[in-house]
Amino acid sequence: MTQSRYDAIVIGAGVNGLVAAHYLARAGRRVLVVEREPNLDPALDIGWVPPQVVRELDLERHGVRFTQPDPWIAAPLEGGGRLELWRDLGRSVDAIRRFSPADAAQWPDFCARMRKLATVLERLYVAPPPDIESRDPRELARIAGLGLYVRRLGKQTIIDLARVLPMSIAELLDDWFESDALKGVLGAVGVWHLKQGPRSGGTAFNFLHHHAGSPIGVFRPPVSNIKAVLLELPGIEVLRGQEAMPVHGPDGHLIGVVLGPRGDTIDAPLVVTSADPRAAFEHVKPDLDPEFVRAIGNIKCRGVVAKGMLVWQGPTGFTNLCVAPSLDYLERAYDAAKYGRDSERPYVELRGEDGHIEVHVQYVPFSNGGSNAEQHRALRAAVVGVLAPHVPEIKAAESRLVLKCPDQLEQTEGHLYHGELTLDQILFMRPVPGWSRYRTPLEGLYLCGAGTHPGGGIAGAAGRNAARVILKETKRS
Amino acid sequence: MRYDAIVIGGGHNGLVTAAYLARAGKKVLVLERRPRVGGAAVTEEIFPGFKFSMFSYVVSLLRPEIIRDLDLPRHGLHILPLESTVTPMENGNYLAAWADHDETRRELYRHSPRDAEAYDEYGRLMHFMAQAVKPILSMVPPDPTSFAPGDLAGLLKLGKHFRGLGGERLHALVKLMTMSSADFLDEWFETDVLKATKSASGIIGTFLGPRSPGTAYVLLHHYMGELDGVFRAWGFAKGGTGAVSEAIASAARAFGAEIRCDAPVAKVTVRSGTATGVVLENGDEISARTVVSSLDPRRTFLQLLETDQLPPEFVADIKRFKFRGSSGKVNLALDALPSFTCMPGLGRQHRGAFSISPSLDYVEHAYDDAKYGEFSRRPYMDIVFPSMIDPGMAPPGKHVMSIFVQYAPYHLNGGWTDATREAFGDAVVNTVECFAPGFKSHILHRQVLTPLDIERITGLSEGNIFAGELSLHQLFFLRPAPGWAKFATPVRGFYQSGSGTHPGGGIMGASGRLAALRILKDGGGR
Repeated sequence: MTQSRYDAIVIGAGVNGLVAAHYLARAGRRVLVVEREPNLDPALDIGWVPPQVVRELDLERHGVRFTQPDPWIAAPLEGGGRLELWRDLGRSVDAIRRFSPADAAQWPDFCARMRKLATVLERLYVAPPPDIESRDPRELARIAGLGLYVRRLGKQTIIDLARVLPMSIAELLDDWFESDALKGVLGAVGVWHLKQGPRSGGTAFNFLHHHAGSPIGVFRPPVSNIKAVLLELPGIEVLRGQEAMPVHGPDGHLIGVVLGPRGDTIDAPLVVTSADPRAAFEHVKPDLDPEFVRAIGNIKCRGVVAKGMLVWQGPTGFTNLCVAPSLDYLERAYDAAKYGRDSERPYVELRGEDGHIEVHVQYVPFSNGGSNAEQHRALRAAVVGVLAPHVPEIKAAESRLVLKCPDQLEQTEGHLYHGELTLDQILFMRPVPGWSRYRTPLEGLYLCGAGTHPGGGIAGAAGRNAARVILKETKRS
Repeated sequence: MRYDAIVIGGGHNGLVTAAYLARAGKKVLVLERRPRVGGAAVTEEIFPGFKFSMFSYVVSLLRPEIIRDLDLPRHGLHILPLESTVTPMENGNYLAAWADHDETRRELYRHSPRDAEAYDEYGRLMHFMAQAVKPILSMVPPDPTSFAPGDLAGLLKLGKHFRGLGGERLHALVKLMTMSSADFLDEWFETDVLKATKSASGIIGTFLGPRSPGTAYVLLHHYMGELDGVFRAWGFAKGGTGAVSEAIASAARAFGAEIRCDAPVAKVTVRSGTATGVVLENGDEISARTVVSSLDPRRTFLQLLETDQLPPEFVADIKRFKFRGSSGKVNLALDALPSFTCMPGLGRQHRGAFSISPSLDYVEHAYDDAKYGEFSRRPYMDIVFPSMIDPGMAPPGKHVMSIFVQYAPYHLNGGWTDATREAFGDAVVNTVECFAPGFKSHILHRQVLTPLDIERITGLSEGNIFAGELSLHQLFFLRPAPGWAKFATPVRGFYQSGSGTHPGGGIMGASGRLAALRILKDGGGR
């Protein structure tokens, strides 16, 4: 038997795949990363990078940069002007006071309460999810430790956790605030990448999930150049422009990956895929437990976000601009998606980057999603129509706006998070119940992408968690 | 005259509390605002000769231990089974669920062989899950923030109970608690009308649509009702739901409790932090060692007490407790039964329910209207003909028809008026007419109840039929407020026993019983 050239093959050169690859490489494994896209996506990476990843991979020395613009959001106001929210709590209070003294008074308390809850999530996210079925004393001790940790945060935090997580973001915000503009800006994060409206239960969790890693009073995740840095970081080999799938031999054991539908096989005893779970098992499905296959098929990953890019020369007049003027606006945008239509008036958020603008458009459901040219034109016109009152220059730039709808995205059903972050698909339920520890029923095959705990919007945590589990479970022979 | 205990409110939970206290030898007085007991479980002759279960109309979850302890059959409780559900579709077809399991399976097979196969497995899982959840209904919720040995032991017991279910079922439970009924059913079935009619039972009493997370666990309720060993506890009470209240009242009286109707309570009297009795609206003062309110949390704490008698954070929690009534009721007197297009003529289908939930989108659209402050133009409806099961409900040859309607938001744009109430009633009968042409010509009398009417008549805040929404963040140790889910209140000697406490909802009586047991354990009314 010939010796494999690689100890491990990682599928996908996204942040999670690269982080997993580097952790394995640092432990002495020979790692090959295979990426489908021939070129690096120039956009920055959205999401909190846990400090452990930065420290352990020494990313700062290699030039990782985090940016969180200030003000972190600007939202056009009904009667003209903008609501701008800043890193500085006092400055935000002043901005809010101009239209709602009551909301201004609530802001510091609200921010402090949310920060505390996000802290709990941050702690949960940098380790594999608690295994509530386990009888292993070490795991039970870890769960008990988590319990004690939460208890030490105080009575209010326990109550908040139980009350807030299952709530809708609309109920949470209605408890605190009166102004539509403020609730719209905050509520929008609650529905990010969900086929749910702000009145749906669990959207308060989604809101907190995206607060993880941000400073107090900032409710948009940071962006970074981490992917580019990880690609430059020595220690791994990257093969671009090739689609890889795990394969097994005639005896049912994993043998490595196959490139393309009929391509070469690369042998490796260990395959780690950051692909979404619905797609990861395509070539090995018939040999898996039917219950597992059914559970994988049941993962909800209904894409609703169109990603856009607009080349932009000159100043934009904003860093982040959010058009979601009220919770009702968001809810109505969602209504269309419920029945399979694009929102007539979508929620749109813009983020200025060097020489271009990144565009987030919601809701654009998969399977409608502007897949034909006419729908696509209508969607683009809707986006421009929503933005034009606030960014008049956009009209002239309409033809340059490139939108990628869920149908056109590679992920299953165009869901960028590989699975919605609803309460039934997080922690020990992610990606599927009973298989939340990155392992799969096929020995030697592991998952490490956004479809696993802690999910999308957190950059590198799943990759690190998975790599640590893998290193523990696959001692070198 | 001094009582051991005064129970404010003679709804079914108040009566259960009173009966249990009296059974333990306490001297108990029940004070009811209306001329009759029952609260939302009343039978009234609204039109001469036509009797209606005016609000709540099916008995589903009445706890078997209560039926046993209070010997309710001896006091006249007699449940008649509700046999079937027919869901008419918009294309003239239908989906029926019959009492006979095999017949239901054959019917499902007609729509989808795959779903017929899945149905048995689904049923088995749901039966098991219902069994697993049932002990929770009879349990005082432990407080997870407390370090008291009792609470820690309770939490541990709860943890053990759930771990004992094993992985697969534990995961199913998490899914049931967090998913929308539409998503949950999507994992099992492909037939839209099946998912629609099943998920419709998940939205009853909520301000949520079938695609809103949090609606799945109500699917379990149906299986709990069917399970009880005593008898099939899913059905009609002979004489209407008022007969359930009357039976409990009769049991309470037999144990020595005194029940006074037309006796509205204005305030609970509190001296140095302890409840000492009540003041009636007519000024009479009645003292008692223990006072129990079975009213909903808002009225219990914000109306019967002064807010300065309570801790401010508790007041804030109670103010935040959500009601948002979303259901209406239309009661009709008919000179003949309607014939439905999907199953023409008269027959056994009229002894069961008709569910107007032809598709998931239909129910979801009904919710959309309510979200923005309108009643559903084409509402979800649950229709029954009680006179078909209990002929005593209507004059010979005539019939009563009960229509439970959703959605009718309490906070209607422009507010509820006589005109909007009638417009709502018209939307209801016109929608029924679509499925049963000619039905309107049989209507002799019509009573339309909006959430505002429900509030005015029964006192339920915002007309919420569960005395507070049964959403995840208002259940268990959070119902009605964190730290106060064990029937005691911040005022010594003052207790709560209504559906706004754990477990709440439906004609279950569990809250009333648990409250009484708590009072007796505290030595109340000694």
